[in-house]
Formats: sequence, C-alpha cells, structure tokens
Amino acid sequence: MKKIAKKLMTLGTVAALAGAVSIANAETLKIGLAGPATGPVAQYGDMQKIGVMAAIDDINKAGGINGMQLEGVIYDDACDPKQAVAVANKIVNDGIQHVVGHLCSSSTEPATDIYEEEGVLMITAASTSPTITEKGFQLIFRTIGLDSLQGSLAADHILGTVKPQRIAVIHDKQQYGEGLATAVKSKLEGNNLTPVMFEGVTPGDKDFSALIAKLKKNNIDFVYYGGYHPELGLILRQSSEKGFNAQFMGPEGIVNSDLAKIAGDAVEGVLATAPKSFDQNPVNQARVEAIKAKGEDPTGPFVFTAYAAVEVMTNAIKATGKTDPFELADHIRANSLDTAIGNVKYNEKGDLTESTFLVYQLHKDGTKTPAQ
Amino acid sequence: MSEFSLYLLQQLINGLTIGSTYALIAIGYTMVYGIIGMINFAHGEIYMIGSYVAFIVIAGLLGMGLVSLPIILIVALIVAVVISSTYGWTVERVAYRPLRGSNRLIPLISAIGMSIFLQNFVGISQGYRDVALPPQVVGGWTFGDPSVFEVTVSYMQLMIWAATLITMTALTLFISRSRMGRACRACSEDLGMTNLLGIDTNKIIALTFIVGAALAAIAGLLLGLYYGVVNPFVGFIAGLKAFTAAVLGGIGSIPGAMLGGLVLGVTEAMTAAFFPSEYKDVVAFGLLVLILLFRPSGLLGKPEVEKV
Repeated sequence: MKKIAKKLMTLGTVAALAGAVSIANAETLKIGLAGPATGPVAQYGDMQKIGVMAAIDDINKAGGINGMQLEGVIYDDACDPKQAVAVANKIVNDGIQHVVGHLCSSSTEPATDIYEEEGVLMITAASTSPTITEKGFQLIFRTIGLDSLQGSLAADHILGTVKPQRIAVIHDKQQYGEGLATAVKSKLEGNNLTPVMFEGVTPGDKDFSALIAKLKKNNIDFVYYGGYHPELGLILRQSSEKGFNAQFMGPEGIVNSDLAKIAGDAVEGVLATAPKSFDQNPVNQARVEAIKAKGEDPTGPFVFTAYAAVEVMTNAIKATGKTDPFELADHIRANSLDTAIGNVKYNEKGDLTESTFLVYQLHKDGTKTPAQ
Repeated sequence: MSEFSLYLLQQLINGLTIGSTYALIAIGYTMVYGIIGMINFAHGEIYMIGSYVAFIVIAGLLGMGLVSLPIILIVALIVAVVISSTYGWTVERVAYRPLRGSNRLIPLISAIGMSIFLQNFVGISQGYRDVALPPQVVGGWTFGDPSVFEVTVSYMQLMIWAATLITMTALTLFISRSRMGRACRACSEDLGMTNLLGIDTNKIIALTFIVGAALAAIAGLLLGLYYGVVNPFVGFIAGLKAFTAAVLGGIGSIPGAMLGGLVLGVTEAMTAAFFPSEYKDVVAFGLLVLILLFRPSGLLGKPEVEKV
C-alpha cells in the first residue's frame, strides 16, 4: 500500500512539474534520457539516470546554459530493440533534439537511424558495439569505449597476466555479448591461444548444468563470458555447486551488485573489464557527494559516462550559442573537452579516441578493485 | 567407468532434473486441455507466482530467525500451493468461465491477455529485477575418479526427483481412485454428457485449474530453490517448455505429460553435451516437429476421434 501511495505521489509530482514546465517553456531545454527503466537490466538505466540528473542539477544550479534551464525527460525502452524504435519516434514527435542514450547496444543501433534522419543529437553513455558508429552518421556520439577495445583489453589481460591453459569463450548470442566474445576470441587466436570451446547460451535460460558439465569435461581453466549478469550469475552459482572452479571473466555488462546477489560467494575474484571508476577521481568528489546526498549510488559504471555525455552536449551549446544538432556535432568533432571522465576527443565516426576501460576484480560484497 | 560413460551419466542426471520440473508444469496444461480443450497460456505465470511466494516466505522465515530447513520448506510449500491455487482458480473464474461455449480462439486470447497481465502485475508489485535467494539446500554426492571425471548429484537434484515422484504418484492415485478423480476422467471423456448425468462440471473444471496450479507451485518452489533466482518473466520460457512437453507426450494425457517432460529435458541436456549449446533449442523443438509428423497425437496421446 505504501508503495502505491509513493507511486501516486511521484505521479503527482511529475504532473506538477509538467504543469510548471509548460509555463516556463521558453527558458527550458529538454534533454531526452532513453534507456531501460523497467525490465531485467533496469539497474543500468538507473545508473544513466543518476548521472544525467546530477549533471542537469549542477548546470541548472550554475544558472543553466545561455539562460536556459535544462530538464531531463525519461523514456523507457526496456532494452528492447522494438520498444527503442518506438521511443525514438516519440522523442522526435515530442520535439526533443538532444538525447542521452540508449543503453543496450541492440536498442541503440535501430534508434540511431531515426535520430540521424530526424536531426536529433544522440550521445550514448553505455553502448559499446562498434557497428553503432560505422554507418557514417553525423549526429551519433558516445562517451564510452568500444567493444573491440574492451575485448582486446580483456584478451591482453588473459595473455599477459592470467596465462591459462584451456580457455572457453561463452556468449549470450546477442549483439553485445557475441560481439565481445568474438573480439576476445580473435585476439587470442592471433596470439596462438585458440579457445577450446566457443558457444552461445540462450538469454533468460536458468539451467546451465549441461554446459558446466561440458566445461568440466574439457578441463577448462578459464572462461570468458560475453553478456550480462543474470546469466553469468547463474553460471557462477551452478559452477560452484557442481565443483567447477575455473577463473571467470566478463565485460562491464556483468559489473553490478546484483551479480553478487545471484551468485553469492562465487563472485569473489571474477575479472571484468569496466569503465574506470570515475567516482574515485578527485575531480568528481563534489559530484559524488551531491549524488550521495540525494540517496543515490555514484559507483555504477555508467553514472559518470552519462554525466560526461550531458557535459559534452551542453558545452557545445554554450560554445556555439545554438541548439541546432548539426552545428553542435561539428563543434563536438572539432574540439576536445575536459569532462567527468577525463579529456574527451572524438574521431570522425563519433568514437572516443582513447579507451576508458580497466580490468577489475569483483568481490562478493559487490565492490571491485583494480586487478593486479 | 570411462570418462565418456561418466560424462553421459552426469548429463542424464542434469536432463532428468530439468525434465522432472517440465513434467510438473506440463500436467497443468494437459489436464486443462483434456477437459475443456483450451490451452491455458497463463499457466507459466502461475508457476512464476509460486516461485515468488516461496521466495517471500523463505526470506521472511529466515528473517524471523527460524533455522530449521525442513520446517521452512514445508511452510513455503503450503503457502505457495495455497496462493497459487487461488490464483489458478481466480484466473479460471474471471477470464475463462464467462467465455465458455464461445469460439475456441476467444478463451485463447483471454489466456494470453491474462499471462501478460500477471507478468506485469507481479513486475509492478515486486520489481522487474531478478530476486535472488542464497542456496538453502547445499551439498551433494560425488562419485567417479576425480582425475577422469567426477559426477555430482546435488541434494537439491535428489529433492527435485523425490518431490516429483511423490507428487506424480499422488496425482495418479487421485485421478484413478478418488470420486473427484473419476468425475475428472468423465469430464474429459464427454463434458456435456457428464453435465447431464448430474455432475457439477463447473466445479470439476475449477478443480482442474486448482490441481494444475498446485503442481506448478511445487515446481516453482523447487526450481526457485535450485536456481536461486526468480523474475516476472521466468514463467514465459518455463511455460513454453512445459507446453512443448505436454504436446510431445500427447496433450490431454497425464502420463504423456510426465514422459514428454523427461524426454524434452534429457534431449536438451544431451544436445548441449555433444553439440554447441546454442543448438539445444533447435534440436529439442526439431524433435517435437518430427514426433508430431509421425505421431500427430504425441507419444501417449489418443488419436482424436471426430464426433458427429
């Protein structure tokens, strides 16, 4: 009952805000925030929201940009490609020209076609699939490194530090997971370490006992998993129950506290490539405090990439004095900028020129430390 | 034993475990189809609700400081069965009974609607994220030479087999021996005639939904404990697999649903064992198509006789 009351109150606040906005419309610039607010990976959407809202608050407190106050408008795509297209169309219809999002690569990719065609500037803070920026689009940027960089970082770590004997590469058959797994596999093969197994699992599956028995039979001592935490969490949990103790490694899609909730102690020591912990960066100390003061978590991997996305966008608006997406895109491509995630510089495609990833070791209490 | 036979045995154990739970859920589909000839697509969601209720009860009892595992499990089982059965009965009363006698497609659509409604109802009230429970039943037996291949049978797997066996035996006795069971069989033979003979068929149909929901709740508790994770969408895939098992074994036939579940589970495990595991569903559903081509009524189903 309490929950419902709370929801109703939130609804009321939103309605009140909407009312206030329509009065002060001339001085408001709306920024669309597209990502999963519901669905199995909603916590990543929360991270993005925390970062974007923190950036908007900071900018508004400092007087807004060019006399305009910012307002974040949330759109829920549930990380479903079909819903992402619907959301993109809705953003266009709502007249919003600046979007932070989407989050899952498989949702971002179909949405980019619509934004490019309709003249909407989009910066994703989380999508790492290389294909997103390969269509030669003008208006599509990101504040996160690519799968190919993340995969090659992981492969370097496997080859240089872990040095396992028999590797299995498992993925979830989705754009993000399979893309990463393929990147890792090809780099390993290039260095004469051919994975013994390369296999896909079905997202949403709960039973991995057959796969684990096979890993055990093949004497695998290292597993790279390309995908998200719900499946890897179960694989870890079932592995430890069945006495299969290999070293596991995954991408940033597995890095959140829910992994430890699902897998329990089996998480201890799992490796992951994740964006650098920007909340540890002294530059962001005041921002971290402000987020904590709101009762939110500043440690998620996408919080400060999302913060930086707003910075990149608003800085271009400030510098050019315009809001036209094409002029902003030209400005972003031509200039570098110091942001919450360090100095960002873009290449022609709209990708960062420098990787923002590091290898981390995960712990059972949900924290992570840089891997040795 | 050689490595190969130990490996085969391990995969057989894995397949039988997952197959047992498919069978438990499949019973609900097959009983309802057997009596009123409709597919209850909301049945997977009843299983999901059973899982959630079991999780909440277990977490609550652990939080209250209760440590005796058997008591926790029995309480969770009873509460899950009662609440899921209530949902099963309510779904029938609200979404299907008013539509009885109309075109076959209409209750089917109503069932799909109910399924989506329940998914989102649970999602909104409990959150859409995975809810996890720490392992409760830990440990197991291992045998075989560790240097060759070690076979593990966890206590949880043994518990799933035992619970499935007991439930199936109880159901078989109920259907074949009790008065209510006889009424159920009569309804599945000829619903209209049974009604004419003075049996309250509405009551029997409601009973069918309640029994099916109770079995789904048992599966929900067992699988919830086995995997340790539940979210509002687990019912969809589990329901699809169980429905396949019911069709495979011959929809309408209770022994068929049991056999179909086991065949499907073992096929999946064996495919994942000897082919890349992404072929698991391809082979399992390919098998379904093949069996239906050669035996359209399923493994143990009776060929449909056209009534004139």
